Amino acid sequence: MPNLRKKNFAYYLIAPAVLILIVTSLYPAVFSFILSFFNWNWGVRFDFIGFGNYLDLFRSAEFWQVLYQTFLFAIVATALELLLGLGLAVVVDHLKFGAGLIRTLLLTPLMVSGIIVALMSKILLDPMLGLVNYALNALGLPLSPFFGATSTAMGTVIMVDAWWQTAFVFIIVLAGLQSLPGEPIEAARVDGASALQTFFRVKLPMLRPVLFTVLIFRTIDTLKVFDIIFGTTGGGPQISTEVMQTLAYRKAFSFLQMSESMTIMVIFSAIVLAISLVYMRLEERLEDD
Amino acid sequence: MDHRQRAQLQRLLAYLISLAAILVTLFPIVWLLTISFKTQRDAFSMPPKFIFEPIWDHYLTLLDKPGFVQAFLNTVYVTALGVLIAIVIAIFASYGIHRFRFRGKKLFGVWLLLAYMLPEFLFVIPMYVLYQKIGWYDTHIGLALVYQVHSLPFAVWLIRSFFKEVPSELDDASRIDGCNHLGALRHVFIPLAAPGIAATAILTAIWIWNELTIALSLSFSEAQTITVAVASFRGYTSIAWGPMSAASIVAIAPMLIFSIFAQKYIVKGLTLGSLKG
Repeated sequence: MPNLRKKNFAYYLIAPAVLILIVTSLYPAVFSFILSFFNWNWGVRFDFIGFGNYLDLFRSAEFWQVLYQTFLFAIVATALELLLGLGLAVVVDHLKFGAGLIRTLLLTPLMVSGIIVALMSKILLDPMLGLVNYALNALGLPLSPFFGATSTAMGTVIMVDAWWQTAFVFIIVLAGLQSLPGEPIEAARVDGASALQTFFRVKLPMLRPVLFTVLIFRTIDTLKVFDIIFGTTGGGPQISTEVMQTLAYRKAFSFLQMSESMTIMVIFSAIVLAISLVYMRLEERLEDD
Repeated sequence: MDHRQRAQLQRLLAYLISLAAILVTLFPIVWLLTISFKTQRDAFSMPPKFIFEPIWDHYLTLLDKPGFVQAFLNTVYVTALGVLIAIVIAIFASYGIHRFRFRGKKLFGVWLLLAYMLPEFLFVIPMYVLYQKIGWYDTHIGLALVYQVHSLPFAVWLIRSFFKEVPSELDDASRIDGCNHLGALRHVFIPLAAPGIAATAILTAIWIWNELTIALSLSFSEAQTITVAVASFRGYTSIAWGPMSAASIVAIAPMLIFSIFAQKYIVKGLTLGSLKG
């Protein structure tokens, strides 16, 4: 009996969490999945149309463009943030005095809401009145329309995301660097390795698990981008910065195409799910090494 | 150049790079702050004005803007409620995962992870439909509940890694002293993991305070949060920079000030969760 009771006790402990997960994630996922086979636009009409929504999406050029742009944003932003964050962490790890204060200051963007980052960048990057174009002009550099042109808008939102989230990579990689064991690094130095060699041959391989975790977080997070784009370009100009989540929002709340919006999210969730699973597998393999 | 000189030069370079990074990081926020105190004329002046006569007008218009003060208060309620629900439920769930073996444990872990990772709009529209039916649309509790899809997995994951740090000897000792499961949780795990639980609560609060996607879809006026109120200032042609900046400053000030005091906990929470997963 005691064993059985012990087992049951664990279920009591997780029961509230399970209940909340059922309401906030299982029900919505199932609901979205079912509704993706219907044609429903808020009204009373409620027709089963099979794969109609899916076929419509797969046939529309808009959907593929938005999917492509979502990945473009995620890949470039994640790569940029990882490089900048890693570089910054290595630099700050080098410092003797003031590293704590510098870390504190560099962490600030993480406290700021994405929508405010977006509005802030609109002020700074305004093509006519913004400070950045003023500075570029003063330095004799070419001006940029930033959010205002299809050719530059995507690059600009990626830059804004990098300003916002590089700090996340930085703080975790810095903690990783500081918790590395001293002996292998010391051994490399004794063997006459240069600082650069020590970094690439000894520190970087030991950082692999930390970098991998950061990579997972940033990939998933950038794929789901919403605030930054909603607050700056709203997906425009034309649809040059539209991504999956802004598209789903527009379909549901501007055009009231609920089923279509949910179909987009079901497809997108499957993609995110697949990527998460691949990453988890890779991480397990990494740990086995 | 000998070895010492090179090391010194490297260090100097490291300080210069750090300084540049700090400038790039802080300048936009400082600039936003100055614009919130500038007249429209000063805000648009070329060359930009760094010295100007500050005005309070934009902050005063916020007081008159219908719903702005209410939105601020709403965010306080929703954040407090959301953090409370997440932390209390996560403490029990983390304890369950940490201390017991049971069937479905792995499934529960995967479910938490997926709930955390899936995109918000998958959850938002069905919740909207449900809330319209049961009258929870545009309510504090409604928002606080939906936030759990993200906050609860996050809290369980973090608190569990803090529980793992509790030395098992102390756990064994409590058992010998005749503590039951809840007694051990109360007298051993919660007190020892208290700093970690605080870190989790702080990070959860920051996330909820700053959340837009869910609040935008599930609140309208009664429960409208500060991020939604600030978002209403956007619009591509809008040049009402003054009020927009003032609203933004009001929205970020609480978390910025809070983070100065909670710095140690924030770093602890962010790094432990990622380093030990």
